Amino acid sequence: MRISEIFRLVWLNRSQNKFKVILTSIGIVVGSATIMLVIAIGTGGKEEVAEQFKNLNAGAVDISYEGGNSGLGFSMGRSSFRGGRDFFAEITAANEEVVLSYEDAEDLMTFVTGISDVTISYSTTASVESGNLDAASYYTVAGVLDNYAAISNLEMAIGEFLTAENNENKEKYCILGSAAANAVFGNAYIAYDNILYIDDRAYVVAGVLAEMGSVASGISPDSAIFIPYETGIKYITGNSISPTVTVIADDVTSVDRVMADVESELRESYPNTVFTISDAGSKMDAASASNETLTLLLISMAAIVFIVGGIGIMNVLFVTVKERTNEIGILKAIGCSRKGILLEFLLEASCTSLVGGVIGILLALAVTPLVELFSVRVELSIQGAVLSLLFGVVTGSVFGFYPAYKASRLVPVAALNQE
Amino acid sequence: MIAMKSINKGYMLGEERLPILKDISFSVDKGEYVAILGPSGSGKTTFMNIVGCMDVMDSGEYYLDGMAIHETREDDLTEVRNLKIGFIFQNYQLIPTYNVMQNIIMPLLMRGMKHEEAEKKCIDTIKLLGLEHRIRHKPGELSGGQKQRVSIARALVGNPAILLADEPTGALDQASGKDVLNLFRELNEMGNTIVMITHDLGVAQSAKRIVRIVDGVLVE
Repeated sequence: MRISEIFRLVWLNRSQNKFKVILTSIGIVVGSATIMLVIAIGTGGKEEVAEQFKNLNAGAVDISYEGGNSGLGFSMGRSSFRGGRDFFAEITAANEEVVLSYEDAEDLMTFVTGISDVTISYSTTASVESGNLDAASYYTVAGVLDNYAAISNLEMAIGEFLTAENNENKEKYCILGSAAANAVFGNAYIAYDNILYIDDRAYVVAGVLAEMGSVASGISPDSAIFIPYETGIKYITGNSISPTVTVIADDVTSVDRVMADVESELRESYPNTVFTISDAGSKMDAASASNETLTLLLISMAAIVFIVGGIGIMNVLFVTVKERTNEIGILKAIGCSRKGILLEFLLEASCTSLVGGVIGILLALAVTPLVELFSVRVELSIQGAVLSLLFGVVTGSVFGFYPAYKASRLVPVAALNQE
Repeated sequence: MIAMKSINKGYMLGEERLPILKDISFSVDKGEYVAILGPSGSGKTTFMNIVGCMDVMDSGEYYLDGMAIHETREDDLTEVRNLKIGFIFQNYQLIPTYNVMQNIIMPLLMRGMKHEEAEKKCIDTIKLLGLEHRIRHKPGELSGGQKQRVSIARALVGNPAILLADEPTGALDQASGKDVLNLFRELNEMGNTIVMITHDLGVAQSAKRIVRIVDGVLVE
């Protein structure tokens, strides 16, 4: 029989049992939707990681002390990367209370070779009032030096970044992240040169950052407020800070050596202190690894759904073969070959799966906005759709083969006499 | 057309073999109209299954239209059924989800014929059987007599070497049964070879030759 005729028969049989086709393919529908969403979430995760770190200086090495006071410093941002293996080089020694300082940063710049720049910063949360805000809101406020913007690849949308004089004179100037400016003032232009109250003290908005969408040294710049390092200590935190020193290695390939040298240098100044030294590459690796683990987990889940769906198809096909035994007998009596019967039932399974796959893709498209409501980034793609469709059809065909084979092996006389 | 020599067929009942057909020799010439008459349990359906290449004999030789069926593999028997035999069943054996045309066209499609060409060929047979106004109807929408006509049309459409009818009037009322037997006579006069199995002497008498089967033995 021509393959086109077999397809015609498949269409004839399936179109008369539409509800059955949908019920049969429910497993494939869920499986395909899951695969498509898994790929989309995986891709979204990867892109998010890439975006978060796109402004990260590949040669940046962060040094912080986490055993001291409870200041909110950079350890806040860094905590999300902890838990991976080998991502942080840790110096093990007995703890002592330490607050990293300018002098430490300058010592590193002086005594460690292969460093092109160094900065020190800390972060805390403080109440903010002004503009559109009806009541005080809490924002991340980072105390930084004038070179922080260059080291963290921050770009200005309007105005200029903080200057060394701002810091030396402990002036009350601030730079707003784009999201913070929008939330407090409505937009960057209104925010610029306006007055912002941080912990009830008036600060002049010296500039607004361009939208970064990334994380720099543990801070999301878009929603942060940057003030001069010394200003923050004087008016907001006092000495209760846990600063992070960031050094920039001349050459990305020498980051490991720089980390080792930094460790040696700090040990000379603080022989009994544990510092956390981490590099940008490790953070990216950690974030990527955790994203890949999540993707793998979701793929495993989708595989289980497919297997369950496939078993469902197999069961329904067995029942179908039983129901249509007489029909198979008739077809055999009038000359349909085993191959023809096998192909017909196999194609019925494949087409049912195809329908399931298509519905699954539509379901994934429908569910995507709901998933995004939970702040999960979903990047739908044609490749994802094709792959999920392929998985669906292959699963249906694999699980449909055995019932189709059984149908093809039926003895004509016995099949014909089946009521 | 049909030449059978010393055909034996039996089934195993536990350890014991139950013989159904015993040393049967039988022949049918081209253009004959033969009725095989026998009571229930005489082995006539088993005999028809072997003649129709749907079952295999335990021993013996069977030649159909010059082809040695006893030496033919199961896969090739499928092709023999399609090309050389037209089945007409007591309970019609139509596919309930297909309409009249779709049921009749199947043997031609199984030969690999193009759909349009096969449909054209079907139309002639459908007209011959007077079913042209029922083409798009499904079996459930037809009377018993019409269903049997569809079954006859399906058997005829591929111009087989023989038409094999198993109790063709068994499920029909008297008028429809008579109608079918008249049709068989006409088809035979047109040159078709017909082998009909029945338990009804009245039906068998419509054939030109009657062969009796009793306890698995054929008696002319």
